[in-house]
Amino acid sequence: MKTVLPPRWAARLLEWFCAPHLLEEVQGDLYERFLRNARLFGIPYARRQYGREVLSFLKPRAGGPFFFKRQSENFPTTYLMNTSMIRNYLKIAWRNIAHNKSFSTINILGLSLGMACSLLIGLWIQDELSVDAYHANGPQLYNVMERQFYDGKVEAGSGTPGLLADELKKEFPEIAYAAGYSWEDQHTFAVGDKLNKEKGRFVGADWFRMYSLPLLAGTAETALSGPTHIAISRKMAQNYFGSPQEALGKSIRLDNKDDYQVSAVFEDIPRNSSDQYDYLLAWQDFLKRNKWLKDWGTNAPETRIMLRTDRNGVPADPARLEAKMKSFLKSRNPGMVQKGLDIQLFLQPFQEAYLYSNFKHGYQDGGRIEYVRLFGIVAVFILLIACINFMNLATARSVKRAREVGVRKVVGAGRSLLIGQFIGEALVLASMALIGAVLVVWLLLPLFNELTDKHITFQFTRLSFWLTLLGMTLVTGLIAGSYPALFLSSLNPIRVLKGSIRFGSGARLFRQGLVVFQFVLSMLLIIGTIVVYRQIDFIQTKNLGFDREGLIYLSAEGDLAEKYATFKQEVLRMPGIQTMTFMDGTPTASFGSTGNVQWPGKDPSTSIQFQFSQVDYDFTKTLKVKVSGRDFSKEFSTDSVSYLINETAARRIGYQQPIGKPLTMWGKAGTIIGVVEDFHQSSMHIAIEPFIAKLSPNAARKNIIVRTQPGQTRQALASLETVWKQLNPKFPFSYTFGDDAFQKLYHSETVVGTLANYFAFLAIFISCLGLFGLAAFTAEQRTKEIGVRKVLGASVPSIVGLLSQDFLKLVLLAIVVSSPIAWYTMSRWLQTYVYKIGMEWWVFALAGLLAIGIALLTISFQSIKAALMNPVKSLRSE
Amino acid sequence: MRRSYLGEFEEVVLLTVAVLAEGAYGVAITDELERQTGRSVSISAVHAALHRLEEKGMLKSHLGEATAERGGRRKRLFTVTVLGSRTLHDIRAVRKQLWDSIAPNGLPAVSL
Repeated sequence: MKTVLPPRWAARLLEWFCAPHLLEEVQGDLYERFLRNARLFGIPYARRQYGREVLSFLKPRAGGPFFFKRQSENFPTTYLMNTSMIRNYLKIAWRNIAHNKSFSTINILGLSLGMACSLLIGLWIQDELSVDAYHANGPQLYNVMERQFYDGKVEAGSGTPGLLADELKKEFPEIAYAAGYSWEDQHTFAVGDKLNKEKGRFVGADWFRMYSLPLLAGTAETALSGPTHIAISRKMAQNYFGSPQEALGKSIRLDNKDDYQVSAVFEDIPRNSSDQYDYLLAWQDFLKRNKWLKDWGTNAPETRIMLRTDRNGVPADPARLEAKMKSFLKSRNPGMVQKGLDIQLFLQPFQEAYLYSNFKHGYQDGGRIEYVRLFGIVAVFILLIACINFMNLATARSVKRAREVGVRKVVGAGRSLLIGQFIGEALVLASMALIGAVLVVWLLLPLFNELTDKHITFQFTRLSFWLTLLGMTLVTGLIAGSYPALFLSSLNPIRVLKGSIRFGSGARLFRQGLVVFQFVLSMLLIIGTIVVYRQIDFIQTKNLGFDREGLIYLSAEGDLAEKYATFKQEVLRMPGIQTMTFMDGTPTASFGSTGNVQWPGKDPSTSIQFQFSQVDYDFTKTLKVKVSGRDFSKEFSTDSVSYLINETAARRIGYQQPIGKPLTMWGKAGTIIGVVEDFHQSSMHIAIEPFIAKLSPNAARKNIIVRTQPGQTRQALASLETVWKQLNPKFPFSYTFGDDAFQKLYHSETVVGTLANYFAFLAIFISCLGLFGLAAFTAEQRTKEIGVRKVLGASVPSIVGLLSQDFLKLVLLAIVVSSPIAWYTMSRWLQTYVYKIGMEWWVFALAGLLAIGIALLTISFQSIKAALMNPVKSLRSE
Repeated sequence: MRRSYLGEFEEVVLLTVAVLAEGAYGVAITDELERQTGRSVSISAVHAALHRLEEKGMLKSHLGEATAERGGRRKRLFTVTVLGSRTLHDIRAVRKQLWDSIAPNGLPAVSL
């Protein structure tokens, strides 16, 4: 008889819903009835009846739910997500971890360090990206900047004329609000006998309407509407008045001269704001104090605007506004074209300004975003190195796990199950590593904050934080577990169980590839660190053209400006002081530039910008710059119109013998009395520019530069303070060390250098962990071979050499691969400096030797151990 | 309640298991029930009742031999437990007592 079968759908349905322990009898009974029906009433009826009966099992009255109820322990089927299987996987994973303590330690330690590193960098990147991102009107805020075309060059700058903000707002309907933003000022404030120095700015009246800055007292409209208004921070309000509410409307005295009324109190500026200030003064006041700002030829304060939004909340198109604004300055300052100068306005989104702050030849060219990207890449690299360790060790040890895989396959584990198991194992390890990583980060965070000058905290309460951790564990687990999972699950169970498993060259090649990759990354980091360090060292030790050691800067404020002559006289009599002068700006921070310099034979169509400084006598003596000709001297009454220029200026002017030649600055004709050797007026990123020094009789708003006697800094400070207290009692004594000001110029480089150093060390360490594990494994694998070799007379060194050789080849290959990449990247980095070191070949050699040395050290422990083993022991076991 | 409650259908199923003695399994019980009561019985209801009775401890079961007519599947064979037997006897005693208490002409005559 032909086998008749019940309808497939019904059979399937029954299998699906019926509890496994009841299935057999129900199926049997239904089948028996089906056969009988088929015999008696024909197959079609039997099939219909079978279907009806299956459905009747689903009816609640027939006890449908009863047949759904699973009885757990009787005959469980092996589902992928079956709890007992998962329990088994976890158990095996744990046993594997516990059994191979050294391998597990290497794995977890490596992963932990890698994850900690990435986590730290991730936190840092998040912090960098959060800067200035909190303003409600953020997307509508723009900085107006200038692009200057002169002297065959293009330069971009944030300095604009002082009237620009108000004029732009009047001219362009697209601009809702506009405000100027001055440079940082420091003034001494007094309320009663409370006296302190505070840092702040002058800003336009629209400021509080543009930026999200909660006001604790006062309103955004009236905050800076009058010339004697001042808005202060919560901190300042508490210091001077006790509370924000009490401060409102009160009077505060600035520089012991002018009285201001507190018109608003704002919340302290958050750490992640690039604009920092403790007080804000009105723009009207700024223009009154600095009349020269009304000249359209100046470019000093910044200009900020906020775009208008239409009724649907869509902001005006910045590109179109930019095109309309481009030649705005020409309409206000028509004279500039004759001077061979063109200035165009352009917009930079305010929120981008922090990360994209560098301009090269007038156009945007990176900035901090490069560090963000660089460290992002480093984070991924380090995590990858740690993952590679895991993959490498897991594949290397796969011989040991091969049996297990074979048995699992024989009893019916599918490939997907095995992949799941191994990835699951990697996830278990990754989670353990994560716990370690979080601990490490938690411990290191204060140190890291100090190093990077940040205030990063763990945001335990934020969901995104936990999601990040989870994501990181998953990604790490998946990457680390992927290769072992795919490789081990592909093994042929018959060959594995027969014990005749030979791993093909594919697996070995893959492993070697991973090691090479790891060492390429490590080499890149080593070379990067060396280059950054050498450049920093170069900056530190380069002859600046003046002596930056032993300089103290004071600002000539309050009565000091008028009493400068007395101050100088008194101080020079005190111990510890060598010489004293004053100047605009400081030796490492140039004050400003001017194009208003004339000399006979000057090409009228070129515009050369000269850095200038108005100085006191003893300028060259105090700075210790070499001068040919002479410094300003009281013996020459004509020196009020004499000029000191630097070598670059001499070259640009074109005099063969500049001393004694005529020069006119700001319309005052005079002569050049001396040429100073070029010295660095700002950071090494910028070329030395032409410089003119002019004698000034007035110390107001200048910086006093004091040179101390070598090794007598303390006495010098005490002397200065004593005299200061006598002559200028209304102002607290404050000073800056010349060296600190210099170091500050290279703050970000120093931080990057230190971080790169740590990361390079970590990368090498993690790579070596992996190498150590691999060496241990190879040594173990070749125990017999080494035994035989020893019996046949091989010496210990030859065996050590044999074992080390393979790894050394890989490291050598890594060096060859990484050198050109490192050369390219580091050359690009060095290009941000005008004054820089060359890329020397020995840097690569040194990095290579270091890598080889470290690798050798790592391997040698294992290989020497293997070579020293007694061959009797290793050969006896068969 | 002192005794386990048995529904009418459950009682009949339990009795049928007793009738069939050795060979009581799903299909046989269904057939016997249909034959004895003359009404159509669904196999799913019988299965549900059997397992409910087993849960109540009135039936016990074991798996029999596999047979070809069932596609190689085994039967589940049921037998009545002591508890089941006691329950049936109790029910019968109650019924008898009730019958005995009915007055001779208490029920309307049923014509045959």
